[in-house]
Amino acid sequence: MSILPVANSPAPTPNGTPAGGTPEKPVRPKKKGRSFAQIHAKPLPVDIHPLPAFHPTNPISLLRIAYTWISHILYQPTSHPGEPYIGYFSPETRSVHVTDPKHVRALWEMGFFGKGTLSRSEPSWLEREKARIMTEMRGHGGRKAAEDATNARREERRLFKLERARAERERTERQRLVERGELQPDESGGVEDIVVEPESKAEGEDSFVSDEQEVIESQPLLEANHVEPKRVDEVLEIEDFPEPQVDNQEHLQLTLEEAFFLSYGLGVLTILPPRATDSPPMSPKSLPKDYSNNDVLQLFCQHSSFPPSPTPSIAPDDQFLLNYVVYHHFRSLGWVVRPGMKFGCDYILYNRGPVFSHAEFAVMIVPAYSHRYWNSPGGRGQRRVAEQKDWWWLHCVNRVQSQVKKTLVLCYVEVPSPFEVNLEQGIGQTLACYRKQFPNFYG
Amino acid sequence: MADAEEDTFPRGGPSGEEPDLTDETQDFRFLAAISREDASIPKRGEKDFEPHATTLQSNTLAASRQAMHNALSFQRVHTPKNHSLATYHPETNMAYAYTPRGPLFARMGAVLSATEDPLGNDELRGKRLWLLPEEVLYLMDRGTIDVRWPPAGEGGEGEGEGLVMSLQGAYAMFMGDEGRVGGALTFERYAVYSNLKRAGYTVHRAPSWDSDDGERGSECYATIPGMTRAWHVGLFNYYTSWWNIWGTDDKVTDTERAEGPLVRNKLYRSYPEIYRRLALIPYHDPTAQFGPKDPESATDPAFRITYHVWKPGSTTYKKSAPGPPDFRVAVVNARDSAVPTLEQIGALLETTPYKPPPDNMQIYQKLKHGYKNVILAIVDQGVVSYLRIADAAFGREKSFERTSHGRGGKRGGRGGRGGRGRGR
Repeated sequence: MSILPVANSPAPTPNGTPAGGTPEKPVRPKKKGRSFAQIHAKPLPVDIHPLPAFHPTNPISLLRIAYTWISHILYQPTSHPGEPYIGYFSPETRSVHVTDPKHVRALWEMGFFGKGTLSRSEPSWLEREKARIMTEMRGHGGRKAAEDATNARREERRLFKLERARAERERTERQRLVERGELQPDESGGVEDIVVEPESKAEGEDSFVSDEQEVIESQPLLEANHVEPKRVDEVLEIEDFPEPQVDNQEHLQLTLEEAFFLSYGLGVLTILPPRATDSPPMSPKSLPKDYSNNDVLQLFCQHSSFPPSPTPSIAPDDQFLLNYVVYHHFRSLGWVVRPGMKFGCDYILYNRGPVFSHAEFAVMIVPAYSHRYWNSPGGRGQRRVAEQKDWWWLHCVNRVQSQVKKTLVLCYVEVPSPFEVNLEQGIGQTLACYRKQFPNFYG
Repeated sequence: MADAEEDTFPRGGPSGEEPDLTDETQDFRFLAAISREDASIPKRGEKDFEPHATTLQSNTLAASRQAMHNALSFQRVHTPKNHSLATYHPETNMAYAYTPRGPLFARMGAVLSATEDPLGNDELRGKRLWLLPEEVLYLMDRGTIDVRWPPAGEGGEGEGEGLVMSLQGAYAMFMGDEGRVGGALTFERYAVYSNLKRAGYTVHRAPSWDSDDGERGSECYATIPGMTRAWHVGLFNYYTSWWNIWGTDDKVTDTERAEGPLVRNKLYRSYPEIYRRLALIPYHDPTAQFGPKDPESATDPAFRITYHVWKPGSTTYKKSAPGPPDFRVAVVNARDSAVPTLEQIGALLETTPYKPPPDNMQIYQKLKHGYKNVILAIVDQGVVSYLRIADAAFGREKSFERTSHGRGGKRGGRGGRGGRGRGR
């Protein structure tokens, strides 16, 4: 993380503001003003063009509706972006990479698709990196990402634990002394009001200290030195440091289900074969032939097992198909579906998105072989998931979910027989063979 | 004495705030507090992770051990006031008692009718309370009744009391005999029974205790919508189709379904319009199930409702007419079964009554409430864990219709209207 190509030259910032110029902040303040509800107003990366509302008390609104309607007829606005978003299939990571920063922003902001490869979820590495460099340069940084808040909280918790352990140690030591008769019992009253001593702080400090803490520590120093009014100007001058130039080393990583949903369901993503790593980024003109949705489905199914199956045949209980059926269903109901790897489940469901509220439901997919075929002697051997899970498995899963205050949803997907699954009849027709039931568990 | 123990139990549900004592090394000193007269719910002590060679710590440990020892060696006696005698009846593997005393019997045991009573319709029948194996064991365990073997003599009835049945003898007689009358009382079932009873619940055997009671009454299914509803739906459809002239809500064509994308690049008025185009996967809808899916379907013996349970403070419960239970509990042996398959859980849920969530409920609560529910008591070597399973109809709750309201300026003009009819 420490070796980074950083251009520290006082060159003009990308926005054209010369270094050391007037304190005119180009983009930041505007960005800060946007609330999450504005940034993530669109639940899917598709545009809609509603007619204005009609107010019976205001007849002019009728004119407005007519105007909008006619202009829509004349100009025919469309729902999809002019150029489809581009994703490169990566067989090694079994994901689809989106590298264009504009596409990355769009897919994250509208529907919370994908994950930044260097971030927890929102691709915020560049912002964080810039903030970090700014902090190093002038003592306090810019925007705080979610990761910073988490790190600060963890650091605080760690220090608290150290402090608690130290107090505990001291208490037992004192108790021992009292028992040996080297100390009077009433002296031990002072044990409770121990304050944090500088040694323990130094002990707790390591290479990683959150920037919040540095800000807090530097403030009393400033006050102690009797800050003169001139100081304010100095601070302003420091503010005008140019934004550091950092190469964006992050890209967006879409799971196969997300990519297929964007491609097959919404039609906003074009999935291209893996890019040769050393060739220059291709211009849109010389794009390689992209996959059709059918090819993509074949490809993803092949890569849903490890090692990837060499044959293009698709088993009805293929992991990708089961996952996609569940993913598509919840998406089509309006949930924001995100991988549940961190919580030991298949998916977690957000109501509007991760920035608005915590997820309430954790989905675990269970293939249900209730079709007659799967219970025939031949079909039994064909099952991919041969054994039922035991209760300990369920208790483990449920224990984690209750710890993170989520409700476990077992999503039974009825697997159709191989005779029903035939891609030649079409993707949608195939997917429609899968039926789902959701009992939810909580203990 | 025996009742004091019951009073100290927290009156919470099985999934309530009862502290999970198995989590940590227990400080058994709280036991000493229970057996005093002014007993109160004990507080948990602090965790001690390692010995640190202080006398304080070793004293605490010794006191804790002593308290546990005292609790275990406590002599259980019958108080003369509540002393009830019962007699074992080998033919039915039950026991009977004549007008036993104590508040517990208001919710346990049964006076059998003239035709059912194994001892016939004699003059004492009205006073004779028959106790099922689990009831006898539970009452013996807590020292409420004293069970005697049947008197040896031929006309022994009432002449003299038989020999005292020991606790070991009772466990040997009542537990786990498959061939006995009234089905087996397995250890798992007894563990759940005694656990629920001690927590204050009223527990009765469910009709499906020993067999699959093939009947699934009409209460297990959704009611067929009446005329008003149908009329409403018709009108609703009429409106939506009329609005569609303005909107652009047309059907997804077969080619679009086959090759994608489902959402064509064109003018949309609202997001619900787009979401409706994405709907593809069929789902189970409990509100549309009006009868058994498969009339032949039977519940798996491992997954059947074992007990009907009423809350401790239930006001509607009467022993003669208990009314519908608050919970239905299925006892599951964790070592003999696995996480149920769809058939198993489906058949089990089918035997429970249809209880849809109220319309005005919030979406999360609604989904958690479900349309049918059952409580699984999973017993692993005596450790009981309760899981509530509900049939959550995610497919019925269109998340997009609800959010389209709270979204201020983003609300779609026409499509939003379609969502309003369904209720939030």
